Amino acid sequence: MDELNKLEYKIGKFLRYGVAVSGLLILVGWLMSVKFAYTEAFYSFRVYDTFPLQKILALYLRNKNWGILISYLGLFCLISLPLIRVLLTGWLFFKQKDYLLSLIAFGVLGALVLSFGLGLKL
Amino acid sequence: MLPILLLLISIFAGFLGALLGLGGGLIVVPALTLIFGVDIRYAIAASLISIIATSSGAAASFLKDNLTNLRLAVLLEVGTVAGAIVGFVISSQINTTALYFLFGGLLLFSAVMMLRQKNDARAEMDHPWSKKLKLSGNFIDHHTQLEVAYNVAQVPLGLAAMFFAGILSALLGIGSGIFKVLAMDRAMKLPMKVSSATSNFMIGVTASASAGAYLLRGDIRPEIAAPVSIGIIIGSFVGGKVMPKMPAEIIRKIFVVVLVIVSIQMIMKGFQNG
Repeated sequence: MDELNKLEYKIGKFLRYGVAVSGLLILVGWLMSVKFAYTEAFYSFRVYDTFPLQKILALYLRNKNWGILISYLGLFCLISLPLIRVLLTGWLFFKQKDYLLSLIAFGVLGALVLSFGLGLKL
Repeated sequence: MLPILLLLISIFAGFLGALLGLGGGLIVVPALTLIFGVDIRYAIAASLISIIATSSGAAASFLKDNLTNLRLAVLLEVGTVAGAIVGFVISSQINTTALYFLFGGLLLFSAVMMLRQKNDARAEMDHPWSKKLKLSGNFIDHHTQLEVAYNVAQVPLGLAAMFFAGILSALLGIGSGIFKVLAMDRAMKLPMKVSSATSNFMIGVTASASAGAYLLRGDIRPEIAAPVSIGIIIGSFVGGKVMPKMPAEIIRKIFVVVLVIVSIQMIMKGFQNG
């Protein structure tokens, strides 16, 4: 493995732990809430309806449904992992004085962060 | 109990995906819509979560053996992320029927791709962008133990293909691995092993480009995404372990038949929905 790949391999191993932690949060949250009438929940997903995340979270917070909230935390952590990977990769290229590729990686990171905002607008 | 059944089906999807080198999305989305009657938009959003999990979890192993071209992956991610953003915007405008038809078409295309002969045509010349960014690489072929050096051709065409792959990823909740490998193999003339490893490495970033937006829009629901992602993680872990011992070719042929049947069902669901 060349030097760059060796360092990125370390980032990859960090991601593996990230997936384990996120997965654990999602699993724990799911097990805490699966005892509720879940069969009902599936029927409510037969028809699509836009319902922004902040309203969903407010509702679950009001009902003290901690299980679902922990699951959401796990989901958020999981979605953030590729962003962390790109951030660390950009920093890696910068350290290796590969400024053009570092700029490209940070550009990708910027686009990823902005893409989250689309969910609020659309 | 439906959530447990969903977990079991997701484990199976992850297992099959690992065995056949396919993303779980191709199995999860039809399963959620056809078996559980979930609206395709929730299914697509949940599928993206499982794709991020499997790609991020396996990133380290893709980097082994020097097969993943990290520099190329970073450049091509510009295309896939831009495409995924556009794909999310399109998903807000497109109607559900069109999504079913597109997905059905994708399954048919995947079935054809699984049957095709894989070429290993090589680039004779390095594209100027490849020279500038030092994208060409090398790896040790396990069979011959010889070092294989390769160039990267037609970088702009590869970027354009990645843009298209990104759109489909966001629109249909898939990793678009098939399109990425096709682009790297046919357009950029990379060795198949490099195309495959680099594509798998990029999939998580492509999926997260739209997953964040879907999450904030409220389309990713833990009631669905939790058992799906946990199941896919478990299934792909087990599938990866047993893969060398399984008769992959026979399973591949059976899966092609299943893909065709399911694609017809998805298209029919589109007609029912319309």
